[in-house]
Amino acid sequence: MMKRKLLLFAALGLQTLAHAVSRFPKPDFESGYQYPEVSYAIPHEHLWNVVDVVLLVVLLGVVAWAVYKNRTRVPIIITSVISIAYFGFFRGGCVCSIGSIQNVALAMVDENYHLPWVVLMFFLIPIIFAFFFGRVFCAGVCPFGALQELVNVKSFRISKPIAKTLSVIPWIYLCFALLFALTHSRFIICQFDPFIGIFRLGGDTGLIFFGVALLLMSVFTGRPFCRFLCPYGALLSLFSSVSIRKPQITQNQCVNCQLCHQSCPVDAVLPPYQNKVEEERMKSVWRVLRYVVVVPCLMLLGVFLMRLSAPRLSVANKEVRLYQLVMQQEANPDQPMPAEVEAFYAQGRTVEELTATNEKIQKDFLFYGSIAGAVIGWVIGVNLIRLTLRRTRKEYSIDARHCVACGKCFSYCPSTKGVKS
Amino acid sequence: MKDKKDQTLDNSPIKRRDFFRRLGSIVAGGAILGIGGVGVSRVVDKEESSEFWQIDPNLCTQCGRCETHCVMPVSAVRCVHAVKVCGYCDLCGGYYRTNAKELNTAAENMICPTGAIQRKFVEDPYFEYTIDEDLCNGCGKCVKGCNSFGNGSLYLQIKQDLCLNCNECKISTVCASNAIKRVSYGTVYYLKEHA
Repeated sequence: MMKRKLLLFAALGLQTLAHAVSRFPKPDFESGYQYPEVSYAIPHEHLWNVVDVVLLVVLLGVVAWAVYKNRTRVPIIITSVISIAYFGFFRGGCVCSIGSIQNVALAMVDENYHLPWVVLMFFLIPIIFAFFFGRVFCAGVCPFGALQELVNVKSFRISKPIAKTLSVIPWIYLCFALLFALTHSRFIICQFDPFIGIFRLGGDTGLIFFGVALLLMSVFTGRPFCRFLCPYGALLSLFSSVSIRKPQITQNQCVNCQLCHQSCPVDAVLPPYQNKVEEERMKSVWRVLRYVVVVPCLMLLGVFLMRLSAPRLSVANKEVRLYQLVMQQEANPDQPMPAEVEAFYAQGRTVEELTATNEKIQKDFLFYGSIAGAVIGWVIGVNLIRLTLRRTRKEYSIDARHCVACGKCFSYCPSTKGVKS
Repeated sequence: MKDKKDQTLDNSPIKRRDFFRRLGSIVAGGAILGIGGVGVSRVVDKEESSEFWQIDPNLCTQCGRCETHCVMPVSAVRCVHAVKVCGYCDLCGGYYRTNAKELNTAAENMICPTGAIQRKFVEDPYFEYTIDEDLCNGCGKCVKGCNSFGNGSLYLQIKQDLCLNCNECKISTVCASNAIKRVSYGTVYYLKEHA
């Protein structure tokens, strides 16, 4: 770690505290004693932030080049190693696109929130790349994805019902993360980050166990975190599904050998399908009508459930917890005072002001909670509808939403072999 | 040669899907521009943007959670000593325990659990106190003593070379007095200069 020591004189004197208690007068030294010089280590963030952003763009560029021009996995593996070493271990996993969702969301609604430029860059750049090239960020630039990719040995397929059910979790996680961020409560993505303890070589024991368990799982099945937990992956899948360019298994004729389907660690290669049953017109009209009824019902159910649980969820907010503690104290003044309540009275804050804050936060939780509930209902509804859609495909093709551009299928395809494009 | 059914499949639905795909691309592109635009407007000048965590000593109540809740194995919080505020007392509230039986350096008389506070005789009756930051763990016991019985020259600060600058400071989520705040680069430390 780079340490720069700087003697701070007037430059940092802006926050000088004037009203320190002075019980004892300043000593009158007779022996010619000089006050020692006090030095403060200044943060070294700014230089590294530039390196972070430059490296992010370069690595994304390398992966995009590997997927679309070079069409091999070697550059992606090199990228993964660099990403784990730099973004993971060296930077402690805390220049993180996944967590940046919360900062950006908070900046969208709160004018007073200072959004660091590097956080905005880490949020936007992978999304822009996903819009042009698909999820190249997931392939090897994200240290979490890279770590799971490198330990992956065999990809056992998770049965379809389980995989489909689990793939809703990232959306729910995203909704809750946004709910807690927008109400100024918690950054739960950062709090429950499973890999940060591994990168920092220490931290919350439970989360490290969870991270190790995820890594053990990813030895046998591709990227469990990316597929079933990562909220940023869910966001990127939106953009990659409409991306300008999409990864192709081969540039030659598909021979339908299903090797690519076997090789894909995230089950994103769709097999060919012949839709033999032609649906009657009236039947399909009724089907669409049923969807039109079912999805709003699910959304309403989501809103109802979230509004019901909003008061309990709001406990995640510190001010709400303080309000409850103060109310307990007011109701029962004899009990020993918790440190929070003591500080509350010492700061001269009033119960009225705290009550007003509490009510505002409760309102926020009801408002954003309703939106989150509606979105969760919508996501579940749309995923159910997707299960009923069967499209005719003549050859193996990549599902751009789930493809993480790891490039495994390229080398498996027999059509590509021996033919240099 | 294509039969009629294949042709209709080629004509209508593919075009419709293509249209939806393009519509999706436009919406996605618009979303990027929108978020980017609002985001850029929220980014403030580097020197002024609040990117670093720091403890406001005016609010700090030395609840002791800084020592236990930092994500680092040893907390990034350290006690700092504002020498210009210090009274250089012999009987220092941040050095000796209040119930010390004898005024010597025996561990049972010292307030600091790690022996991080050292003192040096200057001249009668003054002693100079220094904090060994390698030993300090940010428990804040001395700060409490100094605030109660002295000038308040000892106070807790987050050392910016040790702090990992987490997206959300873990100590701030449990801080009893909401003393941990984001500060800007120009004011990364709170300084006590005058008594």
